[in-house]
Amino acid sequence: MSLLPRRLNASLGLWVAVVFAAITLTRLTSFAATAAEPPAAEAVIRKRLALAIVAEEADQKREIRELALTGSKVVREILSAWPKDRILLYTGDGGVRIPALIEDETDADGKSRAARIDTGAFLADASGKTLRFATTDITTAETDAALRTVLQLALDAMALADPLPDARKTAILKLGNSQKPLNIVILQERLPLENDPDVKKAILESIALLQLGDPDPTVLKAAIEQLGRLRSIGSLDLLKRVSAREGLSPEIRRVLAESIHGIDNHINNVNLVGTFFRGLSLGSILLVVALGLAITFGLMGIINMAHGEMIAIGAYTTYVVQNLFGTGFGFSITLPFSFGGKPIAFGLHLPGLNATGSLYESYFLFAIPLSFLMAALAGLVIERLVIRFLYRRPLESLLATWGVSLVMQQLFRMVFGANNVQVGSPTGLVGHFDINDVSFGYNRVFVIGFAVLIVIGTWLLLTRTSLGLLIRAVMQNRDMASCIGVRTNRVNVLTFAFGSGLAGLAGAFLSQIGNVGPSLGQSYIVDSFMTVVVGGVGSIVGTVCAAIGIGTADQILQQTTGSPVTGKIVVLISIILFLQWRPGGLFSIRSRSLD
Amino acid sequence: MKFSPCNLLGTAAAAMIAFGTATAETVKVGILHSLSGTMAISETSLRDTLLFAFDEINAAGGIKADGKTYTIEPVIVDGASNWPLFAEKAKQLLEQDKVAVVFGCWTSVSRKSVLPVFEKDNGLLFYPVQYEGEELSKNIFYTAEAVNQQATPAVDYLLKMGKKKFYLIGTDYVYPQTTNLILYKYLLLHGIPVENIGGGFRKDADGKVISAGKYTPFSHTDYQQIVAEIKQFAASGDACVLNTVNGDSNVPLFKEIAAAGLSAADCPVVSFSLAEDELRALPTKDLVGELGCWTYFMSINTPENKSFIGRWDAWLKTESYPGVVKEKRAVDSPMVLSYDGVYLWKAAVEKAGTIGVDAVRTALESGSISFKGPAGKTTMQANHHTVKNVYIGETKANGQFKILKEFKDVAGEPFILKGLDEKLAAGK
Repeated sequence: MSLLPRRLNASLGLWVAVVFAAITLTRLTSFAATAAEPPAAEAVIRKRLALAIVAEEADQKREIRELALTGSKVVREILSAWPKDRILLYTGDGGVRIPALIEDETDADGKSRAARIDTGAFLADASGKTLRFATTDITTAETDAALRTVLQLALDAMALADPLPDARKTAILKLGNSQKPLNIVILQERLPLENDPDVKKAILESIALLQLGDPDPTVLKAAIEQLGRLRSIGSLDLLKRVSAREGLSPEIRRVLAESIHGIDNHINNVNLVGTFFRGLSLGSILLVVALGLAITFGLMGIINMAHGEMIAIGAYTTYVVQNLFGTGFGFSITLPFSFGGKPIAFGLHLPGLNATGSLYESYFLFAIPLSFLMAALAGLVIERLVIRFLYRRPLESLLATWGVSLVMQQLFRMVFGANNVQVGSPTGLVGHFDINDVSFGYNRVFVIGFAVLIVIGTWLLLTRTSLGLLIRAVMQNRDMASCIGVRTNRVNVLTFAFGSGLAGLAGAFLSQIGNVGPSLGQSYIVDSFMTVVVGGVGSIVGTVCAAIGIGTADQILQQTTGSPVTGKIVVLISIILFLQWRPGGLFSIRSRSLD
Repeated sequence: MKFSPCNLLGTAAAAMIAFGTATAETVKVGILHSLSGTMAISETSLRDTLLFAFDEINAAGGIKADGKTYTIEPVIVDGASNWPLFAEKAKQLLEQDKVAVVFGCWTSVSRKSVLPVFEKDNGLLFYPVQYEGEELSKNIFYTAEAVNQQATPAVDYLLKMGKKKFYLIGTDYVYPQTTNLILYKYLLLHGIPVENIGGGFRKDADGKVISAGKYTPFSHTDYQQIVAEIKQFAASGDACVLNTVNGDSNVPLFKEIAAAGLSAADCPVVSFSLAEDELRALPTKDLVGELGCWTYFMSINTPENKSFIGRWDAWLKTESYPGVVKEKRAVDSPMVLSYDGVYLWKAAVEKAGTIGVDAVRTALESGSISFKGPAGKTTMQANHHTVKNVYIGETKANGQFKILKEFKDVAGEPFILKGLDEKLAAGK
């Protein structure tokens, strides 16, 4: 198309590429691969496990401890199934007892298959037919209290050696909170083996937690000091309980008060930083949903009530792309009226790729540009069919776009159903990282980056491309632009499509943090208008400032008032007062077209 | 009429009865649910279950009373998620259509709105959805879970698991507010100190706690701050969350919980408003391992339940009522409690020998009316609540629950707050 200049193409391409790179990076960091065991080693481990289960008591315990050292996934699975009576003892030919793991899933008759522990294959009869067992008439490998303790210790020790640092940390803190001094030994053994600084800190913290129960005052004092130094939030409860004890020496009381005070301060700092981060992330969400509106309403002056539905188109596109990567997508609609005695029905079925693993999860990379395109396409159609007749009548554009929004909501219901649909998050976007106890969710970091990129992209488009120049010219004075030879029709349609496309991008992101349903757009339309109006109609910078400001204020008030509703009310009242003071918003633009 | 085996059976049964000694007649029965508006997603499933139960009873020969054999004729009205309209529709059912009994309502506010109508016109209502208790009308029979058949057994289970800290969170309306207040007192009674109950409190002028827990409005989407608070609360271990958040707000809540790395193993969430039907529209991947507590789970492994699900599926294939969705259907506790209600009423009518409201009520209150349904045996008590089994389950990736624990024959008790207050006062 002649109107899309090459420079624009380049800048658009650039920021889409950056978005991709950002996601790929976060995805890669989350692939802390759990290396698969070589098959030979697993076969040996399986044989030893099978023998251990039917072995004599003394041998059994030694064997369990040794197996635990292998850190194998199979061992963990079997050892945790054992005390739950899920190891079947099957009597094979010649009275040999074959242990097997009973499957969780049961069939229609309530029976389940069992996998032989020595080979991993399902138990089968002589003819090779898989056997099924009812839970009521089988003999399982029994455990007694002593054996269960051994199993638990083995499982705890294995959890400490888990390849994932997060899992190790959870296991360590679990031991730390167990209040069993016995566990100190396990933790101290693990300490020199541990390399991850975070996990090391957790071990020190857990040891100190367990030492709080020590009768020796010097150990107790050291433990309290240690916890204070580590700024251990989790220990606050226990420390307070210790301070309620009687007969503590004044020295210990002093240390205790110091540690508790230090931790309290630390919590305040964590909350402060966390609140600002959450404010920034909420602001970014507001910005992402409002930016499209800042173009269609702010620049073009159309009171676009269908903006929310453009967001929904983006979210549904993500859903469809997800399904195309999975089992496929199809729908059928029967219209409520008939033609010539026959009901009118049509449908569509798109086969899926049946992708799995990381290919399936990469659907989101494709969903982002597609949701932009689909929403832009819808915007294009709406502009041609409805809005182009209403540029001089803004109030009527309100009614017309509201009608369009109702029609689109009903379309969503007919195609996707009235219920919300499920959109799964790619693993790269689930999870978080902690810096000094403040947690940063990947999806939140992603939205902040995403918002920065689309703001830069929009700004580049408007100020550094010839299309941007034309857009600004047409929006300032449509007639004059037309007089000097600008094809205002084309500029209008492209601007509206671009604004709608931005809303579609917002939808793709919102599908990762909330609901996708026919009324998705309705929940964001008010927020979008609020952001644009507070920022100043027609000003992109204003929209950015308003979004971040409202988001941060909301989170700070939520934190200080302790209730999400009160926070929101205070924000809304302040906005009303603010608009009384500055009706034009933060950055009001004086322009003939807006007067 | 469209050809369908179900209808054919019904006609055949009716025809056979006509030739028998008893005379065949129809009895009008009301269905009062929201078939449009925000609650329609949940409530249409109950209408479907009721129609299924009626078809099943009619096909099996109807109800014998008053020396006649009655065939059930459903009168369906739409409450449209509009609470005053519920009262009007109830009035229409009782005064115009003169129905013998009404099955209906989902939200507590709709029940509270029809209650005066049923009391004035001496009607009979069966209410099927877990609720907060603290109510007893002589005209309403509650097949629903009372608080001591859902929330408190779940807390018992968590206490037994060794949980020491409890965070309360809910949507801001009567059911979560009342339930959380009861749970707060219940936890205090079981030796949980106040500082280990999270979510915050609101106190009246005398310092008495009148509201416990954190509340968000319907359709709330931003749970960042709350989840951060839960995370700090759970940092010291042995914590859990008691969740009475309703509707689709659960999606952002659970997505945030998953993103914050609060795993079900460390800090499980027990949800009281999420059953199989709701899980169809939730990202179950984020909910695996979280807990639920109901008096019925679709995964109950009994011949009665298997046969029930089989008959339900077969009915869905053949029925021809307008507006019944046929694909991807699940069965859950409110649906089964609706179904149980129909059979309890049938048993009471047959015991009383008449469809008259007063006689049926006396029969129901006698304590001898029971029904062995898909969830096990349900018996109506004199206090208008039922005795039934309670199950605790763990969510699986396929949207079903794995049953972890069963409490046998728990007797529903509507008034719990007063007893808890007395016990707390005695303990001080």
